[in-house]
Formats: sequence, structure tokens, C-alpha cells
Amino acid sequence: MFFYYLDLAWRSIKKTPLLSLLMVLAISIGIGITITTLNVYQLMSENPAGDRSDKLHGVQLWSQGKDAWKEFNGQVTYQDAYNLRKSDVPVRQTAMFVTGLALQTEDPDFSPLLESVRVTDSDFFEMFSVPFLYGKAWDKGVDTEAMYQVVINEDLNKQLFSGENSIGKTLYLDRKPYQIVGVTKAWSPSPLYYDVTTGAFKDSAKLFVPFSLAPIEEYQSWGNNQSWKREPINNYSQRLSSEMHWIQYWVEVQDDKQRDEYAEWLTRYVEQQQLIGRFESPEAAAKVSNVEQWLKINEVVPEDNKILVGLSVLFLLVCLVNMLGLLLAKFLKRAPEVGVRRAIGASRAQIFSQHMVEVGLIGFGGGLLGLLWAWGSLSMLSAHFDLEAALTQLDLTMWIVAPSIAIFAALIAGVYPAWRICSTNPSAHLKSQ
Amino acid sequence: MLQIKPILSTLMRNKSGPILLLIQIILSVAIVANASFIISERIALMDRDSGTAEEEVFNFRLYSFDSSIELESQLQRDIRTIRDLPGVMDASATSMVPLSGGGWSSGYTVGNTEETAKDTESAAVYYGDEHMLNTLGVDLIEGRNFYEEEVLTGSPDLATHGIVSKAFAKASWGDEPAIGQIMYAGDFGDKPIQIIGVVDKLQGAWVNSSYLDNSVILNINLVNVFTKVLVRAEVGTLAQLKEAIPAALHKDNRNRVIEGFTLISEHRKRVYRNHELMATVLSMMVVLLLLITSLGLAGMVMFNIERRTKQIGTRRALGAKKRDIISFFLVENYIICLVGGVIGGLVAVQLGQQLMSVYSLPKLEPIYPIMTIMGLLLLTTVAVILPARKAAKISPAIATRSV
Repeated sequence: MFFYYLDLAWRSIKKTPLLSLLMVLAISIGIGITITTLNVYQLMSENPAGDRSDKLHGVQLWSQGKDAWKEFNGQVTYQDAYNLRKSDVPVRQTAMFVTGLALQTEDPDFSPLLESVRVTDSDFFEMFSVPFLYGKAWDKGVDTEAMYQVVINEDLNKQLFSGENSIGKTLYLDRKPYQIVGVTKAWSPSPLYYDVTTGAFKDSAKLFVPFSLAPIEEYQSWGNNQSWKREPINNYSQRLSSEMHWIQYWVEVQDDKQRDEYAEWLTRYVEQQQLIGRFESPEAAAKVSNVEQWLKINEVVPEDNKILVGLSVLFLLVCLVNMLGLLLAKFLKRAPEVGVRRAIGASRAQIFSQHMVEVGLIGFGGGLLGLLWAWGSLSMLSAHFDLEAALTQLDLTMWIVAPSIAIFAALIAGVYPAWRICSTNPSAHLKSQ
Repeated sequence: MLQIKPILSTLMRNKSGPILLLIQIILSVAIVANASFIISERIALMDRDSGTAEEEVFNFRLYSFDSSIELESQLQRDIRTIRDLPGVMDASATSMVPLSGGGWSSGYTVGNTEETAKDTESAAVYYGDEHMLNTLGVDLIEGRNFYEEEVLTGSPDLATHGIVSKAFAKASWGDEPAIGQIMYAGDFGDKPIQIIGVVDKLQGAWVNSSYLDNSVILNINLVNVFTKVLVRAEVGTLAQLKEAIPAALHKDNRNRVIEGFTLISEHRKRVYRNHELMATVLSMMVVLLLLITSLGLAGMVMFNIERRTKQIGTRRALGAKKRDIISFFLVENYIICLVGGVIGGLVAVQLGQQLMSVYSLPKLEPIYPIMTIMGLLLLTTVAVILPARKAAKISPAIATRSV
């Protein structure tokens, strides 16, 4: 029956090509716009931590003075990071920030590159599930006893060592020799959730060095450095003992119980710091947030995107109303034909489903064409605005989502016209034949 | 004369079509009004002038990774070398680059006594020498530039003289003359900075901040392993200077990374990218929406004409002119459009208020719904007239044929 209806639908569409084309166009444009905005929104709001989202927690401390910032800062001070690392509650934890260093190899002709480098602890790789191609992270001991070791990514390994196993080789960062201990596979979560301070949609660093080297090598911070206190910061030791927030801090806990335990530990830490005269604000507190909460707190999905999705859904609604009107016109025009079919025995349900199949077919066509629009507009936008590729590739799920929305929306729009046509009295139309 | 009564009764006889059209118009007006408001707001944001010669000024980054480099003398040699290159008009080291999205900002303490001292608004802080004004291409409207001997080299704390933007002067001292005022980098009395000049306009680095027009230039040549250098050169010479500058500086000392040559106009493009993107997508939406609405309308009119063939033929037979037939469809359309437009305008204002309360959007100005309705009336006139002219050609004979 379904295929018979499909055949009928196709004939009917061919009979009024202009009107049908108009309907397919209307719904496809609506779908195209909606899918475009939805695609960007979905990619932006994706939680890249997956099932580890509930285990990984960002740490925030209200360490500012009385009249300073009225909210938790996204980063912590060096002294707090230093102290937090002593906690043995979390399974894993890491302090980190981004710096930039000049990269040279043993080849004297290699012209130096300025690369951004993540300064972090050995737990980082395990916590954020960084896959390794060769080697592994530096030993845990290096986190306390600094050694000049470095982890590089696959791209850089290709560029410098043409992709060979480079473990044990030497790199020069700011003219200091570092031994390569690990090469990570291509890996770049989007959004870059563990550090959203300077934009959540960029590539992860190509190099990683131990956090314990920071006070020795005096790495500059390439991230946000925010101070609420007027204090002189003219050299590195002043920076390390300052109240400036510039370090990201993450912990991994086993379960909710351990998270509560860690929160309790942090509360005691805040109280202990208050005794020595820090954390002066009455609101002083600590806060841990899992990845999902973290993305929300940091407003990773820009407002603009939400507005666009909202408006494009309204847009789709207009397209549907438009289609509803056209369908109504089209179906009612066919009333005499339906009258004949009813008179020779077609039931209302059959007439109804016949018309719904036709509507569904139009919706399907609109969905496919809409995907094409979405693909076109995304490529146009990414070319024109030089956007991150991560944001403008058509997500795989959209290949299912788009036709589904289209068919579903078309069916909703089709219910009323189909009902109108199947509920008309056949005799009225037969008379005027 | 306008036959409003028979039109209304026609509309009432067959409600579903007009109601659908009405809903479509209401939604379209609500969307288009808000979208075009957001578009014009974004365009106004992007149109703001940075105060600098954006096509002439570019910056690059200089990273000295060799600890044996004597940074201070090296920087002075570098800047002199750059100024001597052909095509270069001027050059200066800087702490930040206008519209680049990264740099320094700070508030200061102003006031005559400790009791009346207050904090200023935040301002972008440029550290530079006596060449900076000319390098940026900003207009000094009051006071004077730094003298060469006033410029100090070292850390930010040393600053003693400042040139401020007009916006910052107004925010900090109101109508009092800014020249000769003292502001403090620390608390009242701590690290005084004397204001010696006012520039007409100089923007900071963050285009979405509330203090974009507040800028301060302080008399310091920052010494740091990581330096930004501003260069003003003749338009079109960047491509060649991109090669010439690293070559000249590397001849002096190879142990530096020199990269990131970017015109301020390129920074502008990048920093406003999201606004431009929003405006583009919304414009696309508006155009398509209007297209769909008018196509839908034309489709409905065509359908109505077919259904009313008999009626039209009868009216023509009874003496109605072609003009009357067209005006019948037009007036019918205007009634729906006006009713839909008014309701749509109200919905638009409501939607605007929702957007304003949830997101940081300004209040919708009433001119936008009004303009949208006007535009819609114009557009639908075209969409109706074309099929209606066909209707007017229906011969009276048709009407009698199938009775």
C-alpha cells in the first residue's frame, strides 16, 4: 500500500510541479538555515570529555579580597596551585598554563619556531585521555624533581623527525636541551575544555613540559593573567608569590563521594589560608565543577549562537506555515478527484494516509535539499570567515537529523490539510463534475 | 470604494487560508524586525573608528630566546634599523596593538586629596616612546608629545608621563582640562603620572569591552624577551617588509623569532569576525524569509484566483473593471498584511524584550518593526499584483460557461 501511495504522491507532485517545487524549496530553506545554526551550536556545546565528564573537575577559589571580583575566577594563583598539589584526595590532578618558547633542533640550519607550550603535570595525559604514539608521559617523580623532558605531538614529530620514533632525542626550547619522552597521537578536543581562558576553539599545544620547571625556567604566561590586587609584579618570584590568577587547576575523582571529600578538603584549605591572612572576603570559598558544568560556567557557547538557533527555529516555523497554506491550496484543488475515490470505496483513513505519504515525500525532498543548503552555507561561511574547521564541518548526525526534522515538520504541517481533504463530503464534489 | 465589506466577507467565508497567511506575516515581522535590528547594531559596532592609520600600521612579534642578549640596547638598535628601512615611516615598540584582542589594561586613581580620590574607568595601556603617536597615526589635539629624554626604559612601574584619549579624559576629569592632571598607578599618592597630552581617538584591544575608547600611552620602552613592535609603512609595502625586517634584524642577531606580521586592518577583520558572521547569517535569514513569504503569498493568490474564477468572471460580466479586480486582491492582501503587521510588531517587541532579558542585547527600537511592515507591504504588493493582473484578464464568458 505504502508504495502505491508513494506512486500516487509522485504523480501528484508531477502534476503541479511549480507548487511542489515551491513547497520543497520552502521547507529546504528552513531546514538549511536551522541545520546550519544547529550544527555550529552542537559542535560548540559538545562535551568532549564523554563519560569522563563526571570525573574531571575544574577547581576555582574565591581568594580575592573584600571588594574585588564578585564571582569565582576561572583560574587560581600559583601559590594556591602549589598548595593544592599536596592534597592526596584526588586520584589525579594537574596545575597548568600555556607559555611560548623558541623551538630549535640539533640541526643548525633549522630556523627557530615560536611554539605555544603547555606547562603541566604528568597526570595531565592520563586525565584528559591523551593517546600516545610513542613513549609516555614523564615520570611522576619529575613533577617534584624537575627534569628537562618534553612530550610532543604527532604533527611536530612529523615536521621535525619525519614521523620516526623520536623518543630519547633532544629538542632545544629557548636554547635549553629537553629530552623527548613521549609523542602523542593527533589529539585536539573541541571545545578545548581544560583551558577556555583564551577561547575554547583552538588547537591544543604541540609541546608539553613539566610544571615543576616553571619556577626554574621562569616560563612566561601566554594565557590570561588577572589581578584584583595592586601589587608590584616585576620579576618571576614576585609573580609566584602574588595574588594574580593565571593557573588552571584540574582534579580527577573516582566518584561523587570522593568529590565531596575533596570539596571538604578544599574548605579546610580555605579556612587554613584565612588564618594566615589570605582569602579575606566573607564569600571566600572553593568550588569544583565537572566538565559539563565547567562549559556552562565559562559560557563556551556564545550568546549569538543561541539567538541564531532560536531565530532559525522560528524561521522554520514560518516555512512550515507557508507550506501548510500551499498544501491546503493544493489538496483542496484536488477535492473532486478525492470525491471520486471516496465514492468508489476508499476509506477516510486511506485518503488521509495517501496524503500524508505525499507530504512526507515532499518533506524528505526538502530535507535532502536542506542538507545541501546547509553544507553550502557552512562551506561559504568557513571560507569567507576563515573559521576553525571544527566548527564548520557538517556533523555526521545531521545527515539523519535533517531529513528527520524535515519529514516530521512536513507531516505536522500536513495533518490539517490531509484531514480537511479526507473529511469533505464526496457528494458535494461529485455533483459539480 | 475600496470594497472593504465584500472583501471581509470573502475572507470570513474561507478562514483557514487567510489565517495561515496572517500567522506567517506575524512571525515574519517578528523575526525580520529583530534580525534587522541586531544586524544594524552589529554594523554600527563594526563601523567604529580605531583612531589609527589602519591600512598603514602593522605589528610583529619579536621573541629573544638567547639569555646573553642585552635586551635594552638590542631593542633600541632594532627599532633604529627598522626605521631606516625603505618604505617605513616610523616604528615603535609597544605593549599592545589596537584591536588585536590582547594586551594590557588598568584603572588608575585620580583626585586632589586622599578622601576625594576615586578609581577611573579601565583603560587600555600602551607603553611606548615619542615615536608612538606618529607610528599609530593618531591625532594629538591638546598638549604635547613625549620628549625623547622623557622616555624611560625598563618596567611599567617607572611611568611618569601620560597621553590619554579624549574619551578617557572625559570619563576621568569631566569638563576639567586633562592637561596637567595627575593620576596614580597605585593608591592615591603612589606612582604619580602627569598627563601631558590628549589624542582625539585611540581604541584598545578588546572591541567588546565597555571601555574600548579609553586609552593611555605611558612613556616607557618595555624591556622584555617578548616584544611587540609597531611599524607604520606605506600602503602595500607589508609583503616586502615581511621579508626585509627579519633579514635586517637577523643580520644583527640570529637568536630571535620574528613573526606575526599583521596590519591593524587585518586585526580589525579578525576581532569583529563574530559580529560580521552574525550579521551575515541574519541577513541571509532576512532575505530568505522575505523571499519565502512573498513566494508563499503569490502561491496563495494564484490558488485563490483559480478558485474564484467564476466569481471574478461574474463580477466582470456585471461591469467590474480590470482595475477593480486587481484592487480587490490588493486590498484583501493589505488587510491581512496590516493586521498581521500590527500583531507581528507587538510580537516583535515582546520577542525583543525576551532577547534583551536573557541575552545582552539592547532594546529593540520601534522603527525596526515599522520599517519591516512598510517593507512587507511593498513586497506583497509586487507579489500580489503579478498574479492579480492575470486574474483581471479572466473573460466574463468563463463565468457563464460551467454554470
